[in-house]
Amino acid sequence: MYQDSYEDDEFAGNIDVVANTYANVDEADDVGLEEEELQLMLLQQAQAGAQSIPEPVRKFLGHLHRNLLSCNVSDLAYNYETQFARLSDKFYAKAPWPEPQFVAALVGDDGLFLTLYRELYYRHIYSRLPLTLEVRFRSFENYCDLFNYILNSDGPIEMELPNQWLWDIVDEFIYQFQSFCTHRMRVAKRSPEEVELLRENDQVWNTYSVLNVLYSLIQKSNINQQLAASQQGPEAVDAAAGEFGGRPLYKMLGYFSIIGLVRVHCMLGDYTLALRTLENIDLANSRGLFTRVTACHVTVYYYVGFSYLMMGRYADATQAFVHILTFVARTRHYHQRSHLFDTVNKKADQMYALLAMTVALSPARVDEMIHGQLREKYGDHQHRIQRGGDEAIEVLSDLFLYSCPKFIVPNPPNYNDLEAAAAAVEPQQHQLQVFLREARLQVVVPTLRSFLKLYTTMGLEQLATFLDIEAPELRNQLMIYKQRCRQIRCTGADLLDGEPVPATDLDFALQEDMIFIAESRVGRRYADWFIRNANKMQDLVSTLEALQKTAAATAAAAASTAEPDAAASVAADAQVAA
Amino acid sequence: MASSSSSSFARPSTRPDEIHSLLTGVERYNPQNIGMLKAYLAHQCANPDPSTNHDLMANLALLKMYQFNPAELDVDAVRRVLAKALISPAQGDFNLCLYLLSDEICKTAPIDKLLVLRDYLERAEFDKFWGEMYGGGDEDEDDESVVDGIAGFDSGLRRLILGEITSTYQTIQAKLVGTMVNLDEEAVLRLAKEHGWGVSETGVVSLPLKAENEARATVISESIKFEQLTKILAAANSV
Repeated sequence: MYQDSYEDDEFAGNIDVVANTYANVDEADDVGLEEEELQLMLLQQAQAGAQSIPEPVRKFLGHLHRNLLSCNVSDLAYNYETQFARLSDKFYAKAPWPEPQFVAALVGDDGLFLTLYRELYYRHIYSRLPLTLEVRFRSFENYCDLFNYILNSDGPIEMELPNQWLWDIVDEFIYQFQSFCTHRMRVAKRSPEEVELLRENDQVWNTYSVLNVLYSLIQKSNINQQLAASQQGPEAVDAAAGEFGGRPLYKMLGYFSIIGLVRVHCMLGDYTLALRTLENIDLANSRGLFTRVTACHVTVYYYVGFSYLMMGRYADATQAFVHILTFVARTRHYHQRSHLFDTVNKKADQMYALLAMTVALSPARVDEMIHGQLREKYGDHQHRIQRGGDEAIEVLSDLFLYSCPKFIVPNPPNYNDLEAAAAAVEPQQHQLQVFLREARLQVVVPTLRSFLKLYTTMGLEQLATFLDIEAPELRNQLMIYKQRCRQIRCTGADLLDGEPVPATDLDFALQEDMIFIAESRVGRRYADWFIRNANKMQDLVSTLEALQKTAAATAAAAASTAEPDAAASVAADAQVAA
Repeated sequence: MASSSSSSFARPSTRPDEIHSLLTGVERYNPQNIGMLKAYLAHQCANPDPSTNHDLMANLALLKMYQFNPAELDVDAVRRVLAKALISPAQGDFNLCLYLLSDEICKTAPIDKLLVLRDYLERAEFDKFWGEMYGGGDEDEDDESVVDGIAGFDSGLRRLILGEITSTYQTIQAKLVGTMVNLDEEAVLRLAKEHGWGVSETGVVSLPLKAENEARATVISESIKFEQLTKILAAANSV
C-alpha cells in the first residue's frame, strides 16, 4: 500500500546526511595526530580493552557471534534472553558493557555483529545508567546503520534473530525516540551547551526519519499484503510476501513495525490512525503473530484499549483491557522468571488503572477474577469517581497520568525563544485536559444511575431535590446521560467501525416532567449451567470407566477372591454423583 | 450525538480517489499536500447536505499536517475543521480533532470560542449555546466569524439537538423545544407538523416512540455459541 508513493533512495539519503553531520563534530578532537600513529594507538587500546573483558563475557560474545553467523535462532534466543540479562546483572549492574571497539577485536571486526552489539550496549546504558546527549546521538546513528543495512541491501540479508530480540529492537527504537523528544522539550533543564548541540543536530531522532524506518520496514516486508492474503491460505501469503517478506527477519520486523507505528500514533494523539494501522491484524485470532512475544501482545492491547478510552468508547476499552489482563493473569507463572516480568507487570498495573476508569465511567460487568483484582487495587478510586464532583476529576487525572503513554511533540522546540519554549504546555497535560472535558460529562452517568436504579417512576422535581440541584439542571443531566449511554461499539473485525449501542443497563424516558425508568437484567444462564454440568458429568464418567478398567485388570491379575469391591464402590459413587 | 449517528471512519461517497490514496499512504506526511486537503475541506464546508459533507479522516490528516509543520498552520482551517466536527452526528469527532492540536492553538480566539460553544452543547445547555452564538453584546462581529462559511451549520445543529430531544422525551412542552433549538413556538409547531408529531391543546408535543425513548425493561438472555456444545455433541456421537 505504500509502494506507489514511497522511494527507497530518499530514505537512504536522509539517514546518511544525519549520520555525517555529527560524525564530523566528534572527529575534530583527533586532528593533529598522524594517521599511522593514531591507528597504532587505537589498536593498542583495543587490545588492552579486549584483555580487560572478563572471561565469561568474552565467551558469551564468542557464542553470540558464532550463533549469529550460523543463524542458530534457538541458541541465540538463549544467549539473548537468559545469558545477556544474567551477565548484565553480574558484571555490568553499574557500568556499561565493554566498549564496542574493544569487542571488535574479539569478533574480527564483523560490522553487522558490532552494530547489533552496539544496539545492546546502548540499550543497557538507557536502562541502567545516566544518559548523555552523545549516547542518544550515537545510539540513533547505530539504529540508522542497522536499518540501512537491512533495508538497503540488494537482496534479503542472511541473518535471523529470535522474535523477542526483533521485537525489542523495534520497541527500544521507539522508546529512545520518545525519550529524546521528552528530553529536548524540557529546555529549561538543558544547559546552554546542550541546547546548542540539540540545535545543531536537529535531524537526529527526527520524527520523519523514525516514521520512515517503520513505514519502510512495513513496506519492504509486504506485511500488510501478507496479512490480507492470510484468509486465502498459505500459498496466497507466500505469493504476497515476495523476496524479502518471505524471510522471518523481514516479516517479523515488518509486523512489529505495525505495532510500533500504533504506539507512535498514540504518542502523537492520533488515535484513529492508530486503530486504522491495525486494519490487517485480526486481534480475535488467538494464534496471531502478536501472541508470539508476550511484550508485543500486551503492547497491542494496551494501545488499542487506550485509543478506545480516548475516543470515549469505554465499553470497547473495557473489553480490550479485560481480555489482556485475563491473559496476563493466566500466564503469570510462565513469565515469572523472565527478564520481562517487571515490564509486563508494570503495564498490567497501568491497565488496571485504565480499566478502573473505564468501568467507573461506563459501568459494566467484568470477568470475576479481573473484577476481584480491580477491587483490590483500585476499588477506592472507583468509588471516588462514582461519587462525582471535583474529587472524581482529581482521581481521574491521577489515574490518567499514571497510566497514559508518554506523549510527544513531533518538532523540536523553538531554541531561539527558550522562555516561550519552557512555558509551553506539555503534551501530557493537553491530552489529559481534552480527555477530562469528555470524562467530566461521563461522570454524570454513574451518579444518576445510582439514583434512578431505586425507582421505576419519579418526578423530575423530586429527583432534583435528592440530587440537590435545580430542575432545569437535572433536565440537562438527563439528556447528557442519554447521550453518554450511547457508545459506538466495535462489532466486526475492523477496530474503528462500530454501531451505536446502549451501553447501560438502566434506561429511562421522559413524559414531560415524569421519569419512567426501565432496568435491563441478565436472565439466568440455564444453558450455560447445563453445559458445564453435562461436561463435568461426562468427565466423571470417563474417569470412573478408566478406574473400573484398571480395577478389573488388577482384580483379574490377583485372581479370584473378593473381586469387585473397588468396582462396586466406584459404581456407588457414580450413582451419588449422578 | 443524534440517534442517526454513524461511524465517521468509513470512506464517504464524496471522497475523491486522490484524497483516498493520500490518506492510505505515506503521502499523508508530505506537506505539499496541505493545499489539496484544504481545498477538500472548503468543498465540505460548501456542501449543505449533512449526509455527505463531513470527512473526518481527511480533516484529521490536515490537522496532523499542521502538527508536523507548525509553520504552515492556518487557524481558519482549524476553525472550520472543528466547526464541522461540532455538527457531526458522530460523538467524539470534536475531541479527536483536539487531540491533534496543541494547547497553544486551543487558546487562539476562534478556537477558544468554539470550545466554549462545544461545552454548552455537550452539557445540553442549549439555551446558553444559542445565547453565546447569537446573543447581543459587544463582540458580535467575532461571533459571526466562528462558524462563518459552514453551509448548513444552524440546520445541522438543530437536527442534532432534535435528535437528543426525541431520544429522551416521549412528550414535551413545545415551548421547551423552542428554547432548545432557538425557534419561537410557532416555528416549533410548524416543525412538529413537518415531522408529523401530535400537538395537544396545551402545547405538549408527543414524539414518536423509538428504541431510544421507549425505556423498555428487557431481560438479556444468554446466547450459546456452537463451540460450547462441541464436547457434548462429540460425546453424544460416540454413544
